[in-house]
Amino acid sequence: MAPLMPFLVSVALLLAIGLVCLMVKRDMVRLLIGVEILFNAANLNFIALSMQTSGFVDPFAHSVVMMVIVLDGCVIAVGLAMALNVYRHYGTLDIRKLRRLRW
Amino acid sequence: MVAQDLLIQTIQLPLPLAVLLIGGLAMPILGLLAERAALGRLREAWMFIVAASAIGSVWLLYQQLREEPGRVLVVTLWGQRPPLGGCFEIDTLGVFMSGSVAFLGFLAVLYSFKYMERESRLTEYYTLVLLMMAGMTGVAMAGDFLTLFIFWELMSLSSYVLVAFLKSRWGPIEAGFKYLIMSATAGAFLLLSMSFLYGMTGTLNFAQLAASLQGAVVTPWMLVIFSSLIIGFGVKSAIVPLHTWLPDAHPEAPSPISALLSGIVIETGLYGLTRVLYLLFDPGFFQPSIAALAVLTMTLANIMALLQQDIKRLLAYSSIAQIGYMLVGVSAGTAYGVMGTFLHVFNHSLLKGLAFLAVGSIVHQAGTRDIQSLRGVGRMMPFTSFALFVALLGLGGVPATNGFISKFILFNSAIGAGMPLLTLIGVLNSAFSMAYYLLVMKTFISKPEGEGLKMGEAPALMVAVTVAMAALIVFFGLYPQPVIRYAAKASRGLVEGLSTYIEAMLP
Repeated sequence: MAPLMPFLVSVALLLAIGLVCLMVKRDMVRLLIGVEILFNAANLNFIALSMQTSGFVDPFAHSVVMMVIVLDGCVIAVGLAMALNVYRHYGTLDIRKLRRLRW
Repeated sequence: MVAQDLLIQTIQLPLPLAVLLIGGLAMPILGLLAERAALGRLREAWMFIVAASAIGSVWLLYQQLREEPGRVLVVTLWGQRPPLGGCFEIDTLGVFMSGSVAFLGFLAVLYSFKYMERESRLTEYYTLVLLMMAGMTGVAMAGDFLTLFIFWELMSLSSYVLVAFLKSRWGPIEAGFKYLIMSATAGAFLLLSMSFLYGMTGTLNFAQLAASLQGAVVTPWMLVIFSSLIIGFGVKSAIVPLHTWLPDAHPEAPSPISALLSGIVIETGLYGLTRVLYLLFDPGFFQPSIAALAVLTMTLANIMALLQQDIKRLLAYSSIAQIGYMLVGVSAGTAYGVMGTFLHVFNHSLLKGLAFLAVGSIVHQAGTRDIQSLRGVGRMMPFTSFALFVALLGLGGVPATNGFISKFILFNSAIGAGMPLLTLIGVLNSAFSMAYYLLVMKTFISKPEGEGLKMGEAPALMVAVTVAMAALIVFFGLYPQPVIRYAAKASRGLVEGLSTYIEAMLP
């Protein structure tokens, strides 16, 4: 059985990287990459934990990860389509230029 | 009955879900036919058939479950045994939620026939509406976490595109991107909580999770799971620190979509949160934090709503406040409180659906959303404005509308759970919210200044839908017993009938 701790630490690191990326980056494509990193942190957690429960590698977690890769691919595709629309309107991908919505 | 069971076995999906998914997948082909062969109203006819048969199939499920109260219907996919494969587990609450989805969806679809007439890309629009309804029905019926997540993402993806649907203007694009980033992040946190639950128990099946986690000791990992669940479901249901996408996204969507989003999509988020919390945790564990979130949500949203100049933004903030009232019932931790929550989900779907549809008619005719420049609209569009006033009074909780019934039960349940302070804050908030509803009403019926606006009543179909909904609101306000009885049965199944839910899956 592989030790769990290194995996959990890297999941935490990936989460932190993804959240920081969402907070400080201003390019829309980079924001989408931040979302992708967050999804991958959760996926890595699934794979790491699949070895821990029953003494063998549980295929169920792997099938979940397969489904999730497809799903977040769809989300990123929609996001990129929206980024394309923003570029056509504003001529920039800088999220700070999108300031017309009030709070 | 035999034929019906056979049908379910053949399609391998719950019937409403099969209807909506097949309807959504057939829509692009029919849309192509309608454009190529110039078959005028083919798309609208198909939408009408699909939406009406979704209501019919929910009715069939209702009949099937009514015969044996407390029965839970398990539908497995392609012959897998339940605890291993994905499955649907339909109890009374699931039927209640999918009934609300089908009902409001039908009304919004009827309304869009006229409202969206002048837009292009109608095929995409109708396909996405059907897929969004299918996603919500799937979330309401899911029997394990993976199924829930897949339908959750189906619903989210369709709603991202629908919010940004009018892409020639700047508002929908900005709002749609903001919505996408926040909601996708929430999806990642939901997945993270799923992975921890999987690591603790080795399964994602709701019944097995509930069986192995009930009465477990609260470890730090449970707190991690709890907070990721709150983030995951809370962004979609707009609980206050996570609500910032809603006042942008809901006003910028086309009006029938605003009605669907405010009326039922955010409630689906709340449904997911309630179901998972009651399955996994002891009510005493989550009561204080949910109560705190409820107070924060309703107070902040009501104050913000008072400051708005844009009528659709005002209604969006009012939706957040209603989510706060619903959380009061969740935090009560009793079957009575959860009954109030789901009764309010149903009533709010009618009230807020009507409010957004009526405002949609007004905006459609007047071309502006600013409250001050809509002065005197009530004199030019009497029927639509009357329906809007009924909805606003219902949202404020005036007796003889259905909003009063459910708010009464919600605040009453907080007293029963020993939290009188929560009741006090709720009632004060509810009274405070009347301020901005009455402000809108006063502006709409006062005399227009100068030349003002010149416009007539909205098209007949739109008026018919709004007036029918207003009639339903008053009807359910005067005769609420059937809905109350059904909601009571549904919430008892969730809070007290946990063992039935587990036994249906693990005999």
